[in-house]
Formats: sequence, structure tokens, C-alpha cells
Amino acid sequence: MSGPIELSWGQIALAASLILVNGLISAWLGLGLGRRLLVAAARTVVQLVLLGYVLVGVFETRHAALVLVICAAMIVLAARESVRRTGRRYAGIQLDALIALAVAAGATVLAADAVIIGVEPWWEPRYLIPLFGMILGNALTGIGLGLERCMSELDEGRARVEFLLARGATRWEAARPVAAEAVRTGMIPMLNAMTVVGLVTIPGMMTGQMLGGVSPMIAARYQILVMFLIGAATAAGVTGAVLLCVRALFDRDHRLRIERLRRASGS
Amino acid sequence: MSPLFEARGLTRTVAGRRLYEGLALELRAGEVIGLRGPSGIGKTQLLRQLARLDPPEGARLCFDGRASEDVPAPAWRAELAYVIQGAPVLRGTPAALALAVAGLRAQRGRGTASQGEHVDLAREWGLAPGAWEQPWSELSLGERQRAQLAIAIARAPRLLLLDEPTSALDPAATAAVEKSLRGRAAVWVTHDPAQTARVATRTLELGA
Repeated sequence: MSGPIELSWGQIALAASLILVNGLISAWLGLGLGRRLLVAAARTVVQLVLLGYVLVGVFETRHAALVLVICAAMIVLAARESVRRTGRRYAGIQLDALIALAVAAGATVLAADAVIIGVEPWWEPRYLIPLFGMILGNALTGIGLGLERCMSELDEGRARVEFLLARGATRWEAARPVAAEAVRTGMIPMLNAMTVVGLVTIPGMMTGQMLGGVSPMIAARYQILVMFLIGAATAAGVTGAVLLCVRALFDRDHRLRIERLRRASGS
Repeated sequence: MSPLFEARGLTRTVAGRRLYEGLALELRAGEVIGLRGPSGIGKTQLLRQLARLDPPEGARLCFDGRASEDVPAPAWRAELAYVIQGAPVLRGTPAALALAVAGLRAQRGRGTASQGEHVDLAREWGLAPGAWEQPWSELSLGERQRAQLAIAIARAPRLLLLDEPTSALDPAATAAVEKSLRGRAAVWVTHDPAQTARVATRTLELGA
């Protein structure tokens, strides 16, 4: 099998003309999205080109510290993104998301690189960074949904929670049904994805590997690995984030501190 | 005889507003304090503070000779049953809530369980047994109030903190509830002076 056809900047410019379709629809229906489309398209180009340059540098220098710094930056950005669109907030929610993401995604990718694939060294950027990105990108969606559900259930269902507390429930006993519901909500997109993968969707990573000239069978195996990694990281990340959320919204004296919740503005 | 319950230095501040300050309270077994005062004066906050659902703000609480600092909040609340005002619509059914309460560690350890005690209590107050399996959202305010009161006071708590527990009940049901609660120590909030006269051994007027 031959390698990929290299895309020139001219071909990219040709592809950019496709975005005009979006612009025309926006103008026709008066959606007022023209400016946002332009910004989004520009961001796509700038962010991906920058990523390309950064990764070329990282792959060539192959410096462990540099790889880890990049992973840390990815976690911080993912944590910010995961709680950006939640309808409610509490002080420290971003740190909670960050801890959950770091532990869950970090442990999963480490297990994949060092144990399952057996990459030498385990921090080899060509494996670590793309895998980490895939895992973070999916786990952050689950964590965002789980946190959102946990906060709304505690807020809207606070009467039942307080009734149980008043009858002697510990904070964990009172929050248990809420936490279970929140974890379930956070895991649904991942379960859906695992169910339809290969039938309705050909995932981005597999597409990329096949375009890059890898045999579909090898690409499929990598994709299976990635789906399981995403599954494990999402389950652990959502559970961790929801437990941290419960810890934040109750105090040590088993009181619900719903006043710590703030409605997020602009969502 | 030492009191069943003692509180000193009860103070509550909400959003910078002092509701009450330096309040003291003492209750012996079988006594009922009728807690009165205009709306918004802090009666609910006082009950919540006694149940340790609101911060103590330096108050000293003592139940059955033990200071609140020495008793974990869940064990404390299992003995001091606080009945939430207004019988809110909850998730699920009354039967599921009763089951959840029965499964709490603080309740299991008390060894006072009698299956269906809450159902029997509420039946005495005129609640049809079928109501237990209906969602809270399909019950009337009066039905919810009887079911929540029954779940809260079943399993023999030793002090009742009642926040207008009969506000939505007709005279017959109110009389039945009052009869069931006779002889049990309580702090009983009510806006009805006739009820205070019937149930309270003493009254405490907030804001007086």
C-alpha cells in the first residue's frame, strides 16, 4: 500500500471554499452566524497548523519532560472545556474536573502505553499524545454531563436529599441516588458510541490511520483499543468528578450546602 | 431529672440579618414547646439548627446529656426528627422514601424498627394505604403532609421538631395527629393559637 497523498495549501484553499456553503445557508436563513463561522474556520486552520508544528518539534526532540508538559497543558484545557457549558457552578468545580481527568485519563493512557501496547519508552510522543488526546476529548464530555446532572439533581431534588439527611442519612447515603443518576448520564454517550461504532460511524482515528496507509485490520485493532481506553477513562473520570462534586456540595457535618451552587451566566 | 434537651446561645444570621441571638431552650421528656412568632422571624431556622441541618453559629446543644460535638450528625438527627415545612413534592413514592429511611445506617443501628409503623400511623390520620405507592406529585398537599410526618416520626425518635405539621389537614385529621403525638417531647411550630393551647406545655414566642 502506498503512503498518503500529501495535501498542498492550494488543496486546503479549495476545501475552504466548502465552508462557503455554510455561509450561504446562514445568509439565506438569516442565522447571523457568518461572523462566528469565519472565526470558527480560522480557528480550525490556526489551531491545527500550530498543533502540527508543535508535534513535529516534539516528535523530533523526543524529550520526556516536554511530552509531559504538553500532556499537562492538555489536561488543563480539557478541564476548562468540560465545565464551560454547565448551567451551574461551584467554587473549585474546574479543579475537581481537572483532578478527575488527570487521574482517570493519566492512569488509562499509562496502562495502554506501558502495559498493553508496550511502547518503549512509555512516553514515546507518537503514541502518548494522540491517545491522550482521544481519551481526554471523550472523557471531558462525560465529565461535563455527569457534573451538570449531579448539580441539577441536588438542586432540584434537594427536598428529598434533606428529608433523608434529617432522618439520619450521611451525606453519602443522601447523595447516592443522585450520584448514581449522574454517573449513568455521564456514561451514556460513551456507551452509545461503543454500540454504533463501525455501523453508523467510522471513528476519526481509524479514518486517519487508513488515510495514512495503515491496513484497515490494524486500524480496527487500534480503534478497539482506543474505544476501551475511552470507556475506562470516562467511567473512572465521571465517577471521580461526581464524587468530588458531592464532597463539595455537602460539608463534614452532613449538611447540604446548596448555597455553594451558582447559576452560570451566559449559558 | 436532667433535661432531655438543652440549647444555649442559639444565634442565627441569614444574609447579614440577625434573626435571633442568645436564645436558650430546655426540654424534659414529654414536654412540648409551642414555638410561635410572625412569618420570617426564624422559626424554621431554629428547628433546622436544633436538627443540625443549619450551622450552629456557636450555640451549645446537648441531647440526653451528650454535647452535639460528641455525637455525629446522622446519629443526632435519627433521634431528633425534623419534619420539613410545607410537605414538598419529592421524587418517587412515599413507600420508596420510607424504605430508603429504613435502610439508613443510623436508623438500622437503633433497633426500633417495626415494619409498616408509618403506614399504621398515617391510616389513623385518614391516609388511604394506596397512597403509599403513588408518586408524590399525584398526592394532595394534605396526603403528602401525613405521609411525610408518618415517615419522619416512625421508628421512635425521642424529640420531634415539627414545622407546622398539620397546616394542610382538616380538623378531624389534625385531631388524630395531635392524639398520636401526645406525650412525646416536641418543639412544635404553629400559627394556630388554639392548637398551641391544646398541644403545648409551654410556649416560646420568637421576636417578642
